[in-house]
Amino acid sequence: MTLFIQQLFDGLALGGVYCLAAIGLTLVFGVLRIPNLAHGTLYMLGAYVTYFFLVTVGVPYVAAIGLAAVVLAVIGVLLERLVFHPLRNAPHTHHMIAAVGAMFFFQAVAQALWGADFRRMESPISGNVTILGAQVSWQRIVIVVTAVLVLGLLTWFIKRSIHGQTIEAIEQDRTGSSLVGISPSRVSMLTFGLAAALATVAAGLVAPINLLSPTMGDALSLKVFAIIILGGLGSLPGAIVGGFTLALAEVMTSTYVSAAAGEGIAFVVIVIVLAIRPTGLFAKAVQR
Amino acid sequence: MAPTRIRSGTAVAAVCTGLLLATSACGGAGGSGSDTIVIGYSGPLSGGAAAYGQNIQDGLQLAIDDLNERGVTVDGEEYQVELASLDDQYAPNTAATNAQRLAEQDDAAVIYVPHAGGIQAAQELNSNRTEFLLGAYSSDPKIVEQGNELTMMIPPSFKSYVAPFVDKLTQDGESRLGLLGTASEYGQEWTKLVTDEWRGRGGQVLSDNSIDYGTVSDFAGPVSRTLAENPDVIFLGGPSQPTAVIIEEARRQGYDGSFLLMDQAKFEEMEEFTDPENLNDAIGVKPVRAYDDPGTDDILDLYAEKVTEEQPLTSEVTLNYQSVAIVVEAMQQAGSIDDATAIRDAIPDAIGEVDDHFHVSGFPTEITDAGHLRNADLEVAYRTPEGEYEHLPIEQPDE
Repeated sequence: MTLFIQQLFDGLALGGVYCLAAIGLTLVFGVLRIPNLAHGTLYMLGAYVTYFFLVTVGVPYVAAIGLAAVVLAVIGVLLERLVFHPLRNAPHTHHMIAAVGAMFFFQAVAQALWGADFRRMESPISGNVTILGAQVSWQRIVIVVTAVLVLGLLTWFIKRSIHGQTIEAIEQDRTGSSLVGISPSRVSMLTFGLAAALATVAAGLVAPINLLSPTMGDALSLKVFAIIILGGLGSLPGAIVGGFTLALAEVMTSTYVSAAAGEGIAFVVIVIVLAIRPTGLFAKAVQR
Repeated sequence: MAPTRIRSGTAVAAVCTGLLLATSACGGAGGSGSDTIVIGYSGPLSGGAAAYGQNIQDGLQLAIDDLNERGVTVDGEEYQVELASLDDQYAPNTAATNAQRLAEQDDAAVIYVPHAGGIQAAQELNSNRTEFLLGAYSSDPKIVEQGNELTMMIPPSFKSYVAPFVDKLTQDGESRLGLLGTASEYGQEWTKLVTDEWRGRGGQVLSDNSIDYGTVSDFAGPVSRTLAENPDVIFLGGPSQPTAVIIEEARRQGYDGSFLLMDQAKFEEMEEFTDPENLNDAIGVKPVRAYDDPGTDDILDLYAEKVTEEQPLTSEVTLNYQSVAIVVEAMQQAGSIDDATAIRDAIPDAIGEVDDHFHVSGFPTEITDAGHLRNADLEVAYRTPEGEYEHLPIEQPDE
C-alpha cells in the first residue's frame, strides 16, 4: 500500500510535467497544424536557462523559472518568425524537416554554451513529507501544485481573455477568424511563445529531481507526442487528461509489471488509441 | 560566467582538422605530414554520451601536449604528435567508418575508440583491410576475447571487479541484492555477471529494475520499487551523475544498505553531485586522487589548469593519458610510426621505458598476450559507513 501511495504521487508529479510540456505542443498543433518536433529541445533550453538564472546569476528559484519562461517565450516567437512563418505555405514535410533542423541547432547551442556534461540544479525546496506512510519530497508536491495552478491560469487565459480567445478562434476556423480581424500571424507568435514558456516551467520544475543535459528533451519529446495523440491533437483537455493518464500508466506499469514495460507503455497506448479511436480521446482537430 | 575550458578549443581544432582535410592542400596541421605522428580518435563528441567522449579526448590531448613538450624522436627524426578526432555519436558503424578514414586519410597507426560496439566494428577492419593498432577503451572483457592481434585494451576488465565487490559487501551475511543498473548493453553484461556471482553464493537476487539512465525523467519510481523488496545491497551504476541522483533518492526514501557500483560510476564525480555522505557504504573503482604514482599530482594540476576546474579528474582521462605515452614510446622502441604490428610488438618493452611523469593512476605493468594493459596491483575503493575510503587489492582473472 505504501508503495502504491508512493508511486501515485510520483505519477502525479510526472503527470504535471508531461501536461505542461504537452499543452504547448498541442496548442502549436491546433493553431499551426504542424507537429513541432523541436518542442523537446525548447524544454531542454528552458531547463538550461533556468539553471543559468538560478546558479550563475543567483536569482531565487521561482524568479529563475519566471525569467527563463520569458526568455524562452522570446525564443519561441523567434522560432516561429524565422523558421515556421516563412514556411507557412510550404508542404508539411518542410515543417518537419525545419523542426528537426531546429532541434539539432538548439542541442548544439546548449552543448557549446554549457558543455556536454550533466548539470545538477539544486532547488531550495528540500525535505520530505510523510503521506500515509509514503515518503514524498516537497519538490514533487510543488510540481503537482504548480502544474494545477498553471493549468488553471492557462484555461482562464484561453477561455476568458481576449488574446487567449483568439488562439481558440484560430484553432476552430482560421479563415473565419481572419475575416473578423484576428491576425493569424500574431496568434502563431503568441502560441509559440506560450508553448515555449510552458515547456520551460515544466523543465524548471523537474530539473531539481533530474539532471540537465543537452539531450534531456529527446525522451520527453516522444512521450508528449504520445500524449497529444492519446488526448486528441489540438485538444487542451486532451493534453491534460492524456498527460496524467500516461504518467500514471507508466509509473504503475513499471511498478507492477516491469521497468521495461513501463518505458514501452506509452507506445502501446498509442497503438491501441490509433486502432480504436484514431482521433484521440477528445477529438477536436480536423485536418484542413 | 560561462565555463571556459580547452574543450571548445579542441572542438574547434577538430573542426579545423576536418576543414584542412577537406581542402587537403594545406600541409602541416591536421593532415599527414612527414614530421607528424597522427593519433586517431573516434568517439561520441555530440549526443547523449558527449561528455564521456570529451573526457577521453581530453586524456589523449593532454598526453599529446606533454609528449610534444618533451620532444618525440623516432628513428633519429623529430616528430610532432597530433590528435585527429572524429565524432561517431556512439554508433558502431560510424566508428568503423571513422577508423577507416583516420587510418587511410590521416595515416593514423593508432586509433582510439571508447565504446565496445565501435571497438568490435573496428576490429573487423584492422584485421582485414587496413592495419592499425586499436586503442580500446572499454572494460568489456569481450574485446580481448576476440583474438584480435592489434587491440590494446586500456582499462581493467569489469570481470575482475565482480567477485571482490560481492565478497566485501556480503561480509555480514547480506543476502538480498536489488538490481538498479543502467539498461545499456554494457550495463546488462554487468547485471548478468553480478547476478550469477550473487546466486552462486546462495544469495537472493530480487527483481531487475534496470532503467535507461539517459531517458528516465524521475528516478523515484524505480527506486521505490527496488526498496519495496527490502534489499541489503543495491547494484547500480551508469554515468556518475545520474547514479549519484539515484543514490540520493534511495537514501531519501530511507535506504541504509550498501551500494555495489558499476565501474562506469566514479566516486570523485558522484561526490560533486550529491552530499558525499549518501555514498557511504559503497564499493566502486578507486578515485584518481587516491593514487600516489609519481605523476599523479602533476596531472591533477594540469587537468585543473588546462581542461576544467569544475569537474574532478577521473580515470577516463588518466588511463587514456597513460596509454598514449605507452604507444608513442612503443613507436620509439619499434623505430616506426606506421607499422602497427611492430608498434604492438614493442609495447611490452615500452611499458618499462615510459617516463615517470606519465605514471598517474595505476600505470600498466604488463600487456597480456591478448592485448590487455594491466597493473598488477589493481585496487578498488570501499567507502565505509563513516565516509572514509579503504583501498582493497584485487585479483585479476587470467586471460
